[in-house]
Amino acid sequence: MRISRRSFLEGLGAMGLAASVGRLAESPAWGQTAPDYRALVCVFLFGGNDGNNMVVPVDAAGYAAYAAARGTSTGGLALAQSAVLPLAPASGAAAYGFHPRLTELQALWDAGVLAIVFNVGTLLAPTDKQTYLQNSVPLPLSLLSHQDQQHQWQSALSDQYSRTGWGGRIGDGLPGSSLPPVISISGDQLFTLGNSTSPLALPPAGGGFGLAGFDGSAEASARLQAMDDVRMLQEENLIVQATQSQTSRALAASRLIAPVLAGTGSTVDALFAGLTSSLAKQLLQVARIIAARQTLGAGRQIFFVSQNGYDTHNDQLNRQGNLFGDLSPALKAFHDATVQLGVAEAVTTFTLSDFARTLQPASGGGSDHAWGNHHLVIGGAVRGRQTYGTFPVLQLGGPDDFSGQGRWVPTLAVDQYAATLATWFGVSAADLTTVLPYLGRYPTTNLGFLG
Amino acid sequence: MSNERMPVPGRPRAAAHRLPLLLALLAQALGCTSSSTVPAGPALDPDTVRFLEQSTFGPTEVLVTHVQQVGFSGFIDEQLAVPPSSLGDYAVVLQGPAQVCPTGSPANCYRDNFTGFLPAVQFFHNAVSGEDQLRQRVAFALGQILVVSAEDVPTTYGIADYQTLLLDGALGNFRQLLESVTLSPAMGRYLNMVNNDKPNPDAGTNPNENYARELLQLFSIGLVQLRADGTVVTTDGGAPVPTYDQGVVEGFAHVFTGWTYPTLPGATLKTHNPVYYRGPMEVVASNHDGAAKALLGGVTLPAGQTPQKDLSDALDLVFQHPNLGPFIGRQLIQFLVTSNPSPAYVARVSAVFADDGTGVRGNLAAVVRTILLDPEARGAAKTDPAYGKLREPALLIAGLARALGVQTDGVYLRNACAAVGQDVFQAPSVFNFYPPNAPLPGTSLLSPPSVLFDSTTALSRSNVVYTLLFSKVAPDATIAGATGTVAPLTDLASSAGDAGALADRLDALLMHRTMSAAMRSAVLSAVNAVPASDPVGRVRAAAYVIATSAQYQVER
Repeated sequence: MRISRRSFLEGLGAMGLAASVGRLAESPAWGQTAPDYRALVCVFLFGGNDGNNMVVPVDAAGYAAYAAARGTSTGGLALAQSAVLPLAPASGAAAYGFHPRLTELQALWDAGVLAIVFNVGTLLAPTDKQTYLQNSVPLPLSLLSHQDQQHQWQSALSDQYSRTGWGGRIGDGLPGSSLPPVISISGDQLFTLGNSTSPLALPPAGGGFGLAGFDGSAEASARLQAMDDVRMLQEENLIVQATQSQTSRALAASRLIAPVLAGTGSTVDALFAGLTSSLAKQLLQVARIIAARQTLGAGRQIFFVSQNGYDTHNDQLNRQGNLFGDLSPALKAFHDATVQLGVAEAVTTFTLSDFARTLQPASGGGSDHAWGNHHLVIGGAVRGRQTYGTFPVLQLGGPDDFSGQGRWVPTLAVDQYAATLATWFGVSAADLTTVLPYLGRYPTTNLGFLG
Repeated sequence: MSNERMPVPGRPRAAAHRLPLLLALLAQALGCTSSSTVPAGPALDPDTVRFLEQSTFGPTEVLVTHVQQVGFSGFIDEQLAVPPSSLGDYAVVLQGPAQVCPTGSPANCYRDNFTGFLPAVQFFHNAVSGEDQLRQRVAFALGQILVVSAEDVPTTYGIADYQTLLLDGALGNFRQLLESVTLSPAMGRYLNMVNNDKPNPDAGTNPNENYARELLQLFSIGLVQLRADGTVVTTDGGAPVPTYDQGVVEGFAHVFTGWTYPTLPGATLKTHNPVYYRGPMEVVASNHDGAAKALLGGVTLPAGQTPQKDLSDALDLVFQHPNLGPFIGRQLIQFLVTSNPSPAYVARVSAVFADDGTGVRGNLAAVVRTILLDPEARGAAKTDPAYGKLREPALLIAGLARALGVQTDGVYLRNACAAVGQDVFQAPSVFNFYPPNAPLPGTSLLSPPSVLFDSTTALSRSNVVYTLLFSKVAPDATIAGATGTVAPLTDLASSAGDAGALADRLDALLMHRTMSAAMRSAVLSAVNAVPASDPVGRVRAAAYVIATSAQYQVER
C-alpha cells in the first residue's frame, strides 16, 4: 500500500512540548491505519567504513589498479585477490568481491536479497571533480568531519545544522500508535528525530527497561505516586519540561513493551545464538519487536541500530576485519529472522556511515577521512545480486578523486538513496520533497534497488 | 586581576538565613503543622549551594558552611593551592594481553591492566571524598574536550597517566596543556601521532591526519570562525566561514611526523620505539618531514626546521588563534554552569582567556574563576526558561553521593555511571559522550547532556538513585581494598521526625530552595507513607522523589 498524502505544514506549527507517546505534539497523521507491515532498519557504521575494502574489483585490470593504490607492502591495505569473496551476478562473471570476513553477506548476495549501491555521499547538488575544484556548486558543510558528516547522512540537509533526520521526518507522517513509530537501539540519534517525532530508545537485548524498587507496598506506591505527581507539574524551564516529557514517554512505553523485551517465548532468539556483538544484540531486539508487531499494533516502523569502531586510522586490516566479523553474521541472522517471521519482503535493512576512507594508506596501516562510499541494502524486497550506481575509478588523482589520496566525489546523493527507501516504505512522491527537501536537484529519485 | 572586574560575592545575606525560620514561625502562627520546626541542618545559602554545584562534584552541608565563611573567591584561592589527588599507582605493563593475561589468568587481569576501570573507580572515590574539588571538576571537563578513550588505548597505567596530566594542568596555562596533551603517548596512540612517519613514496603512504584534524576541530579552534562571544561568522549568504581547509590539516599532519613512544629505561631511541606510556613522546629527526608546511592563516613553516621547532610553532599558531578563547571558554561554561550561555557571558570569558589582566593568555585558573563568578553564573535563583543544564551522569551520581553522605569506594558509582551512558575515561569516540552543540528536541536550545537522557536512561538513572538510597552494595571481591557503597543517611534521619523539616533540609541542599509548594507537597506525601519509626526510610522516600525529578536533575 501507499501511505496517503498529508500536509506536513499542518504539523510544523505544532512544535509544542506536550508529553505524549512518541510524538512531541499531536499533529495530523496519515488518515488510515496500515493493513500491512513495513519496516526500515538503518544500520549506522560509526567512524567511516572503508568501502574501498568492503567491495573490491576482482577483474584483472580492476584489481591491479586497486592493489597499486592501496599498497601491498608493509603498511599497505590491499586485500589478497584470492581472499576476496566473488560476487557473481545472475549471469556472467563477477566484477566485484566482498571483504573476506563478509561470508554471510556473500550468501545473502547469492540468495538475491542483497544489493550494493556505489559511491553515495552527502551532496547539495550533482557534483563532479571539476565542479568541486572550481567551487562552482554548493558543497556540504565540513566535509571530512565525523560529526558533521554523520549528521548530514542522517539529515540529508548538508547545508545546515539540522535538528531533524530523514527517519524522523518520515515518522512525522506515520499514524499515531501505542508505541512511537521510530525506535532506536542506539539512543536518540538525529536520524530518528522529526518535527513532531521523537524516538523510543530501547536497550539491546538483555538490557533493562523499567523502574526498579516498586513492590506494591503502601510506601512504594506513595513514592511512585509522588514521583508521577512531580513529573506532571507545570514547569517553566524548557530543559525541565523536556526531561519530564522524556520520562513520561519512557514509562508509558515501558509498561507496553516490557513483555516483548523480556524475550520470553521469542522464536527469533535461536537465530542469534552464539552472536555476542553489540550489533547482534541490537538487531535481536529489533527482531523481537517485529515479531510482536501485531500485539503492539505497529504497521510502519523505522529502526536505528549501529556499530562503532570504523575510524580505522591505523591497523585497519585487523580492525575492519574484526568489525565485519561481527557485522556479517548479525545482518544474516536478522534477515533470517525476518524470513522466519514471514516478513522478509516487508523489512529492508540498509547501511549508513560517516564517509569512505582514503584509498591511499596513511602511516600506521590505516586510512584517513574521505567522501563518497559504497552501501548495502538487504531484504526480501531488494532487487539483489546487483550493483547500483557507478564504481569510482580507483586511481589516485584520477577522475573521481578530488584530493590525490583517493577521496571519491559522490556520484549519488544521500537524498536519492533515502528517497528510494522512503518510496518503498510508502511515502508518496508528493511528500518525498518534505522528507527530502533537496531531492528535486537530482535527475533520478529512485535508484531502483527496491521492487 | 581579572576577578576585580567581577562582582565580589559577599557573605550570604543574613536575611536569606533567617527566611526559613521566619516562614516556619509564620506557618506556626497560622496553625500550619507540617513545618512547625526549624530544619535540623545548618542554614544553607542558596547561591553558595549553586556555586558548589558548578565548581565541585557537589555541595555538602559542611562545605556550604565553609564557603559561606571564606567566600567564593576565597574558596577558589584555597582550591588553587590544593595538590591534585591521585588516580592510583599502576604497574607499567610492557607486554600485551596475550602475554600478561594468558589463559587461566584471573578474570580481572585484563580489566586491571588494559582498561581504564581502576582509574575510573578512583576517580569516583576522589570525586566524592577528595579535597581538590575544583581541580578535579575542571580536569573532568577538560577530559571531555581533550578526549582519550581507554576503548582504543588499552593500558591502565597509560590512562591514569593521561588523566593525571589533565589534573596537573587543569588550572595552569592552556598552551602548556596543549603541548602536554600533544606529546602524551596515550593521545599519540589514540589519534595516531605516535609512529607517524614522514611521507614514504616507496610504500605509497602519507602522514596520518588523525591528530592534526582533531587537534584543530575538537581540541582548540573548531571548524568555523567564531567571534569573541562565540557566535559564528557567516558569509553574506548565511553560510558559516570555515576556519581551515583540508590543506591545513595536511600541513599539521606533516608537522606531527617523527614522534614515537618514550624510550624505555636503559633502551636506545628507535624510529618506532616499543609501546610505552610513561613520559612524553620522543622524536627521531630523520623520520620527520623536512619540507615546508602550510598552516593556519597563510603561515608557512619553512623547510628544514627541527621537529621540536615545527611542533612548537604549530601549537603557537593554534594557541594564538582568535577562536581558541570562545571555543574552549564556551565549552567550559557548558560543562560547569549552563548549556546555553549568552554571547555576552562567553565574551567576558573569552576576554579573560585572551588576557588574564597581567597580559597572560590561556590562564585556565583565571578563566575558571571568571566563569564561576560571572553574574550569569551567580545569584540565588535563575528564572530564565533556557537556563541551566541537565546533570550529566557522573555529576548526578557523585553529587548525590556527596550530598547524602554516601560511603563508597567508587566501584558502584563507576559501574552505575557507565550503565547510564557515561563510562568515565572510556568515551565512545574522540567526540566524547555528546557534542557541545547537541540540540534539545522540541526547542531551539542546546542540551548536550540530554544526549544521555533517552527513554532507556531516563528510567535507568532513576534506578541508580534507587540503588544508592535503598541498597547496600557489597565490596567487589576482585578489587583489593574494596569497601562497597552504602548510604547510612543517619544524619539526615535526625530531621525525619518532621516531614516538612526533612523536605526543607533536602530542598536547601539539593535544590537551593527552589522546590515549589506543589512539589514539596508530593514529597511530603511520600515521606508520610513511611512510619516515623523508620526515619531512614523517610529520608529515602524524600530523597528518591527529589533526586529522580526533572526539577532536581536539571541544575539551574
